[in-house]
Amino acid sequence: MDLSMTLEDIFLFAFGLVAVGGSLVMLFAKNPITVALGLLSVLLATGCTYGLMGEHMVATLQIVVYAGAIMVLFVFSIMLLNLNNLKFDLAWPRVLFWASVAGLAAFFALICINVLYFFQSKMAQHQWGEFTPEKVSELGGNARVLSQALFSQNYFSFELVSIPLLIALVGAVVLAKRKLN
Amino acid sequence: MDQIMWIALFLKIAVVLACCMGSVPFLVWFERRGSAWIQGRVGPNRVGPFGLLQSLADVLKFFFKEDFAPKNASRIYYYLAPMIALIAPLGALTMIPFGSYVEVAGQVINLQIAEVNAGVLFILAFAGLEVYPIILAGWASNNKYSVFGALRGSSQIVSYEISMGLALVSMLLAYGTLDLHSMVEWQSSAAGMWGCVMNPIGALIFWICTFAETNRLPFDLPEGEAEIVAGFHVEYGSMKFALFFLAEYVAMIMASALLATVFFGGYSLLPGFSHLVGWVSSAQGWPLQNVKAFFEFASLFLKVAFFMFVFVWVRWTLPRFRFDQLMDLGWKILFPLAMLNLGYMVALVTYLARSH
Repeated sequence: MDLSMTLEDIFLFAFGLVAVGGSLVMLFAKNPITVALGLLSVLLATGCTYGLMGEHMVATLQIVVYAGAIMVLFVFSIMLLNLNNLKFDLAWPRVLFWASVAGLAAFFALICINVLYFFQSKMAQHQWGEFTPEKVSELGGNARVLSQALFSQNYFSFELVSIPLLIALVGAVVLAKRKLN
Repeated sequence: MDQIMWIALFLKIAVVLACCMGSVPFLVWFERRGSAWIQGRVGPNRVGPFGLLQSLADVLKFFFKEDFAPKNASRIYYYLAPMIALIAPLGALTMIPFGSYVEVAGQVINLQIAEVNAGVLFILAFAGLEVYPIILAGWASNNKYSVFGALRGSSQIVSYEISMGLALVSMLLAYGTLDLHSMVEWQSSAAGMWGCVMNPIGALIFWICTFAETNRLPFDLPEGEAEIVAGFHVEYGSMKFALFFLAEYVAMIMASALLATVFFGGYSLLPGFSHLVGWVSSAQGWPLQNVKAFFEFASLFLKVAFFMFVFVWVRWTLPRFRFDQLMDLGWKILFPLAMLNLGYMVALVTYLARSH
């Protein structure tokens, strides 16, 4: 393994550490706001990682959609509902608890092995799909390629995805109305 | 990257930071003198010539004040909020091109700190992050007034972001790119025109939304002396308050620069400047492109200065809105208008594409 680090590698590791730290905070923090901000730091750090890879479009979408819109909603509702003193009393049987911890640990170890294996074999770098970086820049940048694909061959599925969103929207309104009456 | 590019990068960051942060004390002085002028008062005129050093004295006062934090505040978020408040607009400012390019030692240096091809989206991303400091500051200071201020401020920003985004989208239709450099080039090219000429309603909607996004009068509802004191930063004192204050002005500069870039020709030369460029470069024997880049920077600076003046002008001309009026304006007038305007731009762009 090559141990010489460029500036980009250092930043990559830093953002990776922030992401891992943020996810740990999200899992183990007690305060709901801290949990939401932990998730926010994970989203921002992964966005920065995409940016380091040169995928500015994906990085921007990550920040606009998740950090700028969805997490604002989360933090907003946590603040409004004042979930500060909510305590979950999970009465788990001891055996089941340790069994689930062991299962999770095994699963996590499998993921780690998988990631390390692919990281060393550099397989990820060789598996380009149809759109290599050269081809994307030749076609006029990420945004253009993405929108052209979205509104030509994937048009039907793009429109189809909006239907579940509509259903969720109507469902939310119905639930809210019922609560008022 | 070789050495020259590194030096150029740091110089660009230094220039943008110096111009942005360095002009804030002057802007504060200008705002106070301007409001005094509009109201027929004198304004600060004791410290230095024309009171110019008043802001310096204020900053010194901020530095020497006690660094106080309320007892029951959530410490981390309480200190984090002013930092994010300043970082978000400064991050967005890195995308604004402040000139075409300069040539130094045969190297072409692009006058934009971060060369991201999805520049507009990136600015929207950072604008979206501007909600967090308000929410965090209001929530973390453990004060009911500040929570109310935070709720008002964040809901206002989130609501007006939609109309702002739609106004931007209507211009993206015309430019066909997300790159701010190409937008300015399109506007200064022979076939193009300033965005505000092509899309006046979009420019107006965007302009109004910048007032709401930066919490400026007539939309400064997050603060209200009579109802909620100082709003989300009621518990902040000394330099922590100064950071919020600074962040508001940096956000104003950023919004003005974006408005100038998308709708008012960005760094393209103001009328008459092109003669000046030729005259200076031939009289002094300096390379034409570098002189042109300097005047492009001056053009953008003047445009931003004008928009900053309008911020002060509007502040003392229009009365404050009530909160429900603000929400009505945002959702019931600006949002449908922005949608209609989008339809108009679609028709116009299609017509222009057909006729060429």
